[in-house]
Amino acid sequence: MNVKRGLSLFAAALVLVSLSHDPASAAVDLSAGIRHVSDTGSLSDCSGKAKAALETYLPGATESSPGSGEWFAMGQNIATGAASSGATVRCYPLAKGYVVTFVCAVQLPANPYGAYALCLDIAHKFYGGPITPLAAMPTATPLPTGCATTNLIGSWVSDNDPKLTFNMQLNGDLTDNQGVSGNWIIDGSTVTLTYYGNHTLKLSPDGKHLSGPGYNLTRRC
Amino acid sequence: MTRISRRRVALLAGGLVVAFGSLSTRAPAALDMNVGAAKVVQSQPVSACNNAAKSALSSVLQNAVELGGDTGEWEAFAAPDSANGSTAAAAIDCYPLAGAYLVTFTCAAQVPPSVDSATALCTKLATAFDAGAR
Repeated sequence: MNVKRGLSLFAAALVLVSLSHDPASAAVDLSAGIRHVSDTGSLSDCSGKAKAALETYLPGATESSPGSGEWFAMGQNIATGAASSGATVRCYPLAKGYVVTFVCAVQLPANPYGAYALCLDIAHKFYGGPITPLAAMPTATPLPTGCATTNLIGSWVSDNDPKLTFNMQLNGDLTDNQGVSGNWIIDGSTVTLTYYGNHTLKLSPDGKHLSGPGYNLTRRC
Repeated sequence: MTRISRRRVALLAGGLVVAFGSLSTRAPAALDMNVGAAKVVQSQPVSACNNAAKSALSSVLQNAVELGGDTGEWEAFAAPDSANGSTAAAAIDCYPLAGAYLVTFTCAAQVPPSVDSATALCTKLATAFDAGAR
């Protein structure tokens, strides 16, 4: 009976832990098809404009190899800390003038605007045309601190066993002092703690205490 | 005996949860982009480039399309998966020169979950293009 119960708890915990780490869905959006031919100007003219146009929207444009005329830049989503946009501007000299192509890619939904919008603005910056402001990149949200009553983020200690501590994270994960993980959810002042099973607890009005059958915890804040 | 069983099960459960929890933690998906090869192929019409571009994109990715019709600008996406949509894409640009053509490759991938980096994707495309252009 005890073994059965333990295995059930284990299975439930395993499913919850697996679910809690599912990554957000995302897809690559690519825009090609913008090409411009200039009857005048040299490769270096094209390169100068390519670098300037890229850096209007993405930081640190670099040439793939010096003198190649192939320029490239990436943008980062500050909130996720990962690259979410990129663009290439490639110049090739002709007998008279040059040809330049624009290709952009973004990762959706991490990036707040699509690849075509980015490429069109870069191209218009390069050879002239209407510029449409791109949506602002999201900024990092500071972690809530203190004893907020809207979340459980922070360190908690068991009132019954001071050695038992929990670290509750922004994404709803929790980890105890031995590395065992679980989850937390808050709805009003009702908290569901998934840790060796589901436990329904109440958060005190000051956000400092969690109490219910089996667990009484105090937040360090 | 009962106490030992309970403790063993709890330890087993805890250990496995931690182990599986760690294994399933993933790095955030990042966009990877590659400025692939650019080359001039002499003594060939741009139509040869278009044929090879379509063939290469269709074999490495899927549903290659020429943008705008007869532009020489081709793109294709990886087969979408139910969770993410397409996680890789590429463009091949064919441009006619006097008695020759210029071809460029540009690739993007979302890593993870794409198994190919953008560089690997562009290498595959260039190889497939060369095979199709012969």
